[in-house]
Amino acid sequence: MVKKIIKLALAGNPNTGKTTLFNAITGARQKVGNYPGVTVEKREGFRSYKGYDIHVYDLPGIYSLTAYSIDEIVARDFIINEKPDIVVDVLDATNIERNLYLCVQFQELNVPVVGALNLMDEARERGIVIDEAHLSRLMKMPFLKTIGTLGDGVEALLDKVIDVVEKKAPLPYAVSYGHEVEEDVNALTQIIAKDLSFQQKYPPHWCAVKLLEKDARADEVLTSHAFASEIRALALKRIARMEAHFGRDASVIVAEQRYGYIHGAVAEAVVRQPLDKETVTDVVDKVLMDRVFGLPIFLGILWIVFQLTFKFGEYPMHALESFFAWMGAVLSVLLPQGMLSSLVVDGVVAGVGGVFSFVPLIVLLFMFISILEDTGYMARAAFIMDKFLHIFGLHGQSFLPMIIGFGCSVPAVMAARTLKSPRDRIITVMVTPFMSCGAKLPVYVLLAGAFFPDRAGDIVLLIYVIGVMLALISSWIFRVTVLRGDSTPFVMELPPYRMPTFRGILWHVQDKTWRYVKKAGLVLLPASILIWAVTSFPTSVDHTQDVISVSYAGRAGKAIEPLIAPLGFDWKIGVSAVTGFAAKEMVVSTLGVLYKVGDHENKDASLRQALRNDPVFNPLVAFVLMLFMLIVVPCFASLAAMNAEIGWKWVLFAICYWFVLAWSLCCLIYQTGKFFGWGL
Amino acid sequence: MTIADLKKGSLFIVRRVRVDKEIGKRLADMGFVKGAQGQFIRRGLLGDPLQVKICHYNVSLRREEARGIEVDLVLPEDKKKAVRVW
Repeated sequence: MVKKIIKLALAGNPNTGKTTLFNAITGARQKVGNYPGVTVEKREGFRSYKGYDIHVYDLPGIYSLTAYSIDEIVARDFIINEKPDIVVDVLDATNIERNLYLCVQFQELNVPVVGALNLMDEARERGIVIDEAHLSRLMKMPFLKTIGTLGDGVEALLDKVIDVVEKKAPLPYAVSYGHEVEEDVNALTQIIAKDLSFQQKYPPHWCAVKLLEKDARADEVLTSHAFASEIRALALKRIARMEAHFGRDASVIVAEQRYGYIHGAVAEAVVRQPLDKETVTDVVDKVLMDRVFGLPIFLGILWIVFQLTFKFGEYPMHALESFFAWMGAVLSVLLPQGMLSSLVVDGVVAGVGGVFSFVPLIVLLFMFISILEDTGYMARAAFIMDKFLHIFGLHGQSFLPMIIGFGCSVPAVMAARTLKSPRDRIITVMVTPFMSCGAKLPVYVLLAGAFFPDRAGDIVLLIYVIGVMLALISSWIFRVTVLRGDSTPFVMELPPYRMPTFRGILWHVQDKTWRYVKKAGLVLLPASILIWAVTSFPTSVDHTQDVISVSYAGRAGKAIEPLIAPLGFDWKIGVSAVTGFAAKEMVVSTLGVLYKVGDHENKDASLRQALRNDPVFNPLVAFVLMLFMLIVVPCFASLAAMNAEIGWKWVLFAICYWFVLAWSLCCLIYQTGKFFGWGL
Repeated sequence: MTIADLKKGSLFIVRRVRVDKEIGKRLADMGFVKGAQGQFIRRGLLGDPLQVKICHYNVSLRREEARGIEVDLVLPEDKKKAVRVW
């Protein structure tokens, strides 16, 4: 027997426990991807239930179905284009009005909707009593109570889904916009319904409402309508009439009428006992959101997360590194000497090792991030940071990727996904590398230690501070040039504090880690082989010279010498910068090879001495080189991550920006310094 | 009077949302509609952003956005009644 397939779209506001419910329905049978053309996660899950194959599509968490964000557009395009059999709307029972606001918009899209009143346990605690049978009658759609964290009500929900899909009852126009507005809606609906092929794709009633709401996308799709110009003219007339009558913007009137309709139903079906005491969230907020102490508490939490991540992450990271080093050693013994062995050991193993050595950091960091997110603190942190970041054209939520950037740009860039506006996301991703990552530190330490032995710490700190300043100034520059436009509004829900679930965190960490391994592996491995190739070909005949200096990389370094000479650099520094694209810490090891310090215990000290002995180097050049390493293109792994988040065009733009900025700033400082004789 | 002018703890009723570009519509979607009751909770370190309770949930908005929401203050003598509603 062929099982019947049900296409179920799971929708709802953010912070309603939608993901938990999704996991409760589908278990482990899911796959994650992106919606075509946008970086909005597309999660699909499967469940066999009573002879049905239920395909569950997790729509992004949204508040409304306007064209306000990519998430909203994705959700509504999914309903219109994919025509799911049913929508299950997950509602936060403690905050039912705003949640129903989205629900009625799904009803309008002419698709059967079942409401899952989730977080019922919290609602009960707060003295909220919902008569779901009555609510179902009033809203002309079924409502069921669920507790996603416990899996309560999931089977009943699925039974209802099957029931609704099988019955195929005609869908009522539930929402009433009140006498006045309904007239306008009906007038538009009638004329829109005249084009039958259009009507099959876009529900006329929905389209009419959207036009009155001045929805830009609805206006766009209308172009395909046979009577497009007539409809537009009528819509404009009706909007003018509405605005004259109500004295407000038409889009706001529609929202108000919708809320009015919902208030009516809720007043009848929901009883809310007055709360005498403050909620836990109110009390905790008094401390964490305190006007004075909020910021130090936030910085403290950040510090702890950082310490834990990089302290604990160090052990597995080093273990993985030594494992791959051991594997390289074993393979170089097993394989016959020559090119193949070199390719496998220095190219493939080093590349794969490079990918995996970041995994412990990513696991730990995203574990903490998901704890902070699931508890509800992340929104508070964005609140605390917003004013400061907004001055530079950033968003309160940009703080997270930027801070993680001090550890590693790869998870930092991945964390930028929490930013909803593409513009904010692009800017944040492009300035993240200015936050000096852990791999840049060895370079700073080497140079500062060699040329500023008494003040090494201060100099390194100075470089970090310059990085932060460059990040802020660059954001501001992007905001007023290439990424102009109104700043994203900061209307952000501060969800109630909730206990994170172990499964939720595990799932989140697993998801991020897997995504990283896949994406980074695809780019980093070939890149690593490429770096290997340019540093080992052509092979040297003359054994007095090391392989690198006669290799393509060495030649490239010499070729670009005139270009980097104004910065006070010679070809050796050029080559190190090139190998730095593979990983920033490779700058140090490349310098080691070029200065022939060998592989003995005191190689750091002897490299410092070798640099001091080289007439090319002096404190000024060392400082400029640190600055150059700070600004110039980050490693391949982070470029790969950026490519996944903002697309190759912006990555290309960013690369040019970093190059130009690095070169001109370093040139300016070097030439000025030389003129005044600083540090010579 | 707009939300930006309110004092900590004051209760209000939304009178009108002025629409400046997309943001007014967004605010209406999030529950800032005529007649909705709410409470001003707090402002951030430098006076911005603001935290407001509306429709039984907490939301943060910047001062520039809050300036677009005209409200009527719920006076202390009506306070008991208002608290019961929300």
